Amino acid sequence: MAEGAAGQERIGVYICHCGVNIAERIDVEQVAGFTSTLPGVVVARSYKFMCSDPGQELIKKDIREQGLNRVVVAACSPLLHERTFRRVLTEEGITPFYFQMANIREQDSWVHRDGGLATEKAKALVRAAVRRVSYHEPLEVREVPVNPDVLVVGGGIAGIEAALTLAEAGKRVYLVEREPSIGGHMAQLDKTFPTLDCSACILTPKMSDVGAHPNIELLTYSEVESIEGYVGNFKAKIRKKARKVTADCTGCSDCEDPCPITLPSEFDEGLRERKAIFRPFPQAVPNIYTISRKGVPACQASCPIHQNAYGYIALAAKGKFEEALDLILWDNPLPATLARVCHHPCEEDCSRRDVDQPLAIRQLKRLVTDTVGEWELPGPEAEREESVAVVGSGPAGLACAYDLRRKGYRVTVYEAEAEPGGRLSAIPAFRLPQEILEQEIARLEEIGIEIRRGSRVEVDKLLREHQAVFIAIGAPLEKLAIPGAELRGVIRGREFLASLRRGRPLEVGRSVIILGDDDRALDIARAAVRRGAKATLVSRLPQPKAASEEIEAVQEEGVRLETAVTPVRILGNGRVEGLECKTAGTEFVIEGETLIISAGGVPEAEAVAHLGLKLTAEGYLAADPLTLATDVAGVFAGGECVSGPLSVVEAMASGRKGAESIHRYLNGLDMYGARELEGPYASTIEVETSGVEQRPRQEGPRLPVAERKGFQEVQLPLEERAALEEAERCLKCAGCCDCRLCWTVCEPEAIDYTMEDELVEVEVGAVILATGYKTFDPRKIPQYGYGRYDNVLSGLEFERLVNSAGPTEGKVVLKDGSTPKRIAIIHCVGSRDERFNPYCSKICCMYSLKFAHLVKERTGAEVYNFYIDMRTFGKGYEEFYRRVRTEGVKLIRGLPGEIVQRDGKLHLIGENILLDEMYDLEVDMVILAVGLEPRADAEEIRRLFNISCSQDGWFLERHPKLAPVSTFTDGIFLAGACQGPKDIPDSVAQAGAAAAGALALIDAGQVKLEAYTAQIDASLCSGCRTCISLCPFGAIDFDEERRVAVVNAALCKGCGTCVAACPSGAATQAHFKDEQIMAEIEALLQEG
Amino acid sequence: MIEVEEIDRIVAERFLSLDYCYQCGRCTGVCPISAVSEFRPRKFLLGAQMDRAELLESALLWQCSTCDACVKVCPQKVKPPEVITSLRSRLVETGHLPQGVADALENIYRRNNPWGLPKGERAEWASGLSLRRFEQGLEWLWFVGCAASYDPRSQAVAKALVKILDHAGVEAGFLGEEERCCGDSARRLGEEGLFQLLAEENSAQLNETGAEKILTTSPHCYSVFSNEYPKLNGRVWHYTQLLAELVRAGRLAFAPGEELVVTYHDPCYLGRHNNIYEEPRAVLRAIPGVRLVEMARNREQSFCCGGGGGRMWVETEEREHPGAVRVREALASGAMVLVTACPFCLINFEEAVKSLSAEGALQVLDLAELVSMRLAEEKKDG
Repeated sequence: MAEGAAGQERIGVYICHCGVNIAERIDVEQVAGFTSTLPGVVVARSYKFMCSDPGQELIKKDIREQGLNRVVVAACSPLLHERTFRRVLTEEGITPFYFQMANIREQDSWVHRDGGLATEKAKALVRAAVRRVSYHEPLEVREVPVNPDVLVVGGGIAGIEAALTLAEAGKRVYLVEREPSIGGHMAQLDKTFPTLDCSACILTPKMSDVGAHPNIELLTYSEVESIEGYVGNFKAKIRKKARKVTADCTGCSDCEDPCPITLPSEFDEGLRERKAIFRPFPQAVPNIYTISRKGVPACQASCPIHQNAYGYIALAAKGKFEEALDLILWDNPLPATLARVCHHPCEEDCSRRDVDQPLAIRQLKRLVTDTVGEWELPGPEAEREESVAVVGSGPAGLACAYDLRRKGYRVTVYEAEAEPGGRLSAIPAFRLPQEILEQEIARLEEIGIEIRRGSRVEVDKLLREHQAVFIAIGAPLEKLAIPGAELRGVIRGREFLASLRRGRPLEVGRSVIILGDDDRALDIARAAVRRGAKATLVSRLPQPKAASEEIEAVQEEGVRLETAVTPVRILGNGRVEGLECKTAGTEFVIEGETLIISAGGVPEAEAVAHLGLKLTAEGYLAADPLTLATDVAGVFAGGECVSGPLSVVEAMASGRKGAESIHRYLNGLDMYGARELEGPYASTIEVETSGVEQRPRQEGPRLPVAERKGFQEVQLPLEERAALEEAERCLKCAGCCDCRLCWTVCEPEAIDYTMEDELVEVEVGAVILATGYKTFDPRKIPQYGYGRYDNVLSGLEFERLVNSAGPTEGKVVLKDGSTPKRIAIIHCVGSRDERFNPYCSKICCMYSLKFAHLVKERTGAEVYNFYIDMRTFGKGYEEFYRRVRTEGVKLIRGLPGEIVQRDGKLHLIGENILLDEMYDLEVDMVILAVGLEPRADAEEIRRLFNISCSQDGWFLERHPKLAPVSTFTDGIFLAGACQGPKDIPDSVAQAGAAAAGALALIDAGQVKLEAYTAQIDASLCSGCRTCISLCPFGAIDFDEERRVAVVNAALCKGCGTCVAACPSGAATQAHFKDEQIMAEIEALLQEG
Repeated sequence: MIEVEEIDRIVAERFLSLDYCYQCGRCTGVCPISAVSEFRPRKFLLGAQMDRAELLESALLWQCSTCDACVKVCPQKVKPPEVITSLRSRLVETGHLPQGVADALENIYRRNNPWGLPKGERAEWASGLSLRRFEQGLEWLWFVGCAASYDPRSQAVAKALVKILDHAGVEAGFLGEEERCCGDSARRLGEEGLFQLLAEENSAQLNETGAEKILTTSPHCYSVFSNEYPKLNGRVWHYTQLLAELVRAGRLAFAPGEELVVTYHDPCYLGRHNNIYEEPRAVLRAIPGVRLVEMARNREQSFCCGGGGGRMWVETEEREHPGAVRVREALASGAMVLVTACPFCLINFEEAVKSLSAEGALQVLDLAELVSMRLAEEKKDG
């Protein structure tokens, strides 16, 4: 029961004049007089400044003399002075919670004009406070110890300064930086205004101090992923992104040279390139390289055997053909074959498709194999005892044999036919010259794979000689499952291709119909055409499953394509006369003397019978789709004999899967785990293709149609120059191409491709956010032509250009290398602009003047600064402005309306306001003084740390004047430009202040917890858990035993959400109990 | 009927953005009229902030073409053309207006067209053509507009459009002599009352027809209908949008044509005022043999012909006509034809070509004319 009901309260009420702030509008004496009549009020006074010492003394005296036990002060906002008056109560031995403040300034005298009404409102507010205070209860203020460690987020100058200050004070600091090096924007700058000292020269010593400080744990290339807890006791999870280079890196830079990937250097604002293995700049801290790899690119992910196309293209583009081939051979023993016959799903998925056309990847593989010409396959590193039988020497069998052999197994391939290759050997020479395949098979034999030709086998016998068996006998026997298949003139595709291979092709007559859906059907059609027949290819698919090049070639050669057609029956009387087809509801007949069926093959019955394995209803071998295991232990089966029709590369993928399974089987490993990435999958890399210039794909030439009489190869290689141009079209989606050349040169063996992101958990008492800013993107103002005109630069670009460590070694030059004679600098780009950022970015006038000075110092160019208002507010800044004026810089008030490029020169068109005349100034270079903006992910950071942002998106300080580095979340401080645009001196000063704030918190040792916490009455709680999901601080747990919600007082911030949400009224909040609030409201609304 | 107070309120509202001006000068920098005369939008804004009557009543006030280039670059979201037309309203109210402006307003009021030609001659251009009076059941109501009805050069555009509509089988009808001025010039010249009257009458007339799709020849009619006629029911299309749609649907069959390098000028009231930049270009790209090149200033940065804002009826004092500046840019682009889609641009550019004696080098055509010239003889099905 609150004491208020007992009537023992003795209340003192004090009405503050606040000078004239309150007294000018409100009749304070009248309020005091009124108040003295209220029940429980012992004394009511007004005084000029209640917050002054005499004011406080007044209260103390009354407490002592009048025996007050409750106090109400009607003055300003409790945010300002509640603490002051509570202290008065504490000093007099009364619990500070027996105090209430009525705000009659911000909420009354300042906002109302009518003094009479304002006075009435003041009376009501005071009456409400008086009523409420009698219901107040003493509360317990608990204290918890503070963790003395600090987390600093952001390694720019502000983060560096804060970290060093704390570390020097003996505190342990975790400094988290997203980029590979600390330094932030300041590291990019050339000179700093107004003193013109070299930015790097004053920054890098501090950077090394950070790197070397025993109290600082530096976490670069890392991001805070989550944070929980409360002031004094935070727990942060930090993701250390995999830089794929260990701390053993000495920064020797040897790795840069072999890396074939160049990317725009972020540090140099894209004005020069860096390698995929890089450090942003030579003085980077830590001096460890980073490999920027974004994931597996689409070409590689979509490839059934995951050929590293991106890698070999990058190497080929640098003329490193041997290395490119080595990379290919890693996954593929048949490169010259696939360079000719692959249906290249990599090209279908190539990201370049979003710009114009996909890269001609297959042609680039051809370039590599053609250029290298002769090679050996990599053999096993160490021999093993176990031996494996592979039955069938098609693409599946060969790929399986190769992978197993490389692991050291002894491999014997059993081939029923006289020549190995399976379906590969049936490909006509106009697509795959026979000697190419023969060479590839010979290379496999050279690494110790034994191929037994013309050998029929039985599984039982094989298992006696070998520890495991892989069956890949293909599915060459076309089913003749169409009415009329018995007619004369119906030929199986396999027989026809075999007859070609024997050099005695079957007769096809003058017109032939080919039924089939893949490259085999195309081959047959093209061969038939070469025999002088008219060929029609009928496919059920909208487009046959074959490479685009082949579909084009087949049409060039005069084959008629009937796609998306269902064959109904073969027509004829004893002999084939035609094929009845159906498409989209209509039926039609294709005439032909011969019909070749090249679809729906199954394994040959005789071969299958020998093996003695189980079959599926469709006639394929039964095998587990994930492991390819058959029901006979140690026997695996893959390729078309299990799956039905596959492309060559898909069959090879099946073979590789079999090899993996056999390896696991022979070593007693888990057969099922970690097999998700076998076979094609979707790349997760998001590729930005906007703004990429269109460049048409280089198609490889083909033999002129007139010359395609015999079996000469049709697809010709790209000319090397064209091929290299084609390779240059690669968008480099993944960053690092995983070619691993850097690994070959790294002496300290610091490169670790297997490195994965790591999650680190740290516990800290305070957090300092110093996440900085980004600059305005001037593309948003099309009238200034940035991105369109070569010599319109952003401020940061000019910083790099003029920097002696920058891309031009500090020479101010135009894109064409020549020296500018006239340069314009435009102030206020993107700032003071309601369309973009309404605020002044504070630093642009000064850095624009600095640019003017630097241009004058480094070149003889004329400089024009276009400004609206010149803002040079800091120490030494106006003096610098004066100095620049003496250097011949022309200052024009009035920004150009637009920049137009005429004859290669930039024309600034605008109004010289002070001279009242128009200008059309021709210049060589324009520098846009772009303003500062919150980081793109500022909102995410805000949410992560549970702080606030101002409307502009900058992190919000607790008070713009009196608490500029604190936030509304206790224990989280702000430093630098993440709070708003700031120059270096201000950032450093703020960083010091933030560090001092953190130190004050830590050195207090204890932190008082919120007294206004919520409680849940277990006897009322229904266990609905509504409060648990709503609590923003995760302060409510569910007691499974009692089936009720329980508040963790240490985490509760007293926000009241649970109280409002609780459907059973079980949740209450200290100091905001229903009777307290109701008493206040009733008194407020009371008449009179 | 709209009350005087209501008109005063509208005029006053158009001043509101003025106070935010901080005199950066970008408006003047980008202003096509400032480029050729003593007109300075920034100075008018400053003058208005400081109540400088001598500046606000100067003849220069009538020079603004309301092209909106300044609006696009203003960092404080000030709308100088609205401020200027409001200033004009004050002068119109007190009768301080140039003779040409007074005449044009009088003509609009009495004869429903700024040229002052007889109402009865409005539909004469269409005599002998297949164009019908609008009636229920026709898909499109074509609001031909004053220029295309009376100005001989623009009548050719209307005729070309009739041919295109026929070719594509588009069912459209017009209002004939019943059509009235859309009021755009009246409003830009500050005669807010006359504009409100026309907007009321035209909205009522157009709504009564029941037409759901209203086609306009002029970007000016298009713009006021779309943005300033709150009571109009039908959806308004500029003809370039319809043409783009016909191209997309494959309803225009083009004949193979000679190689023609063209450049496209974005009319202010189509581009900046209404963001229609790509449709006319899509039409041009669809014409066989036509190669589109861009002028240095295109789309949002297009340079005004000088014809908007009622300027067609204002005596101007300028070093050079803005249309001539634009024609020089077109010449520099390497184009043989300057294509536009606004009757005022067409008139101004043709005069500019003559003044520059560039008749041999550059032809000026409306998009509708170029399309109709290149259509195949036979109609396309559907």
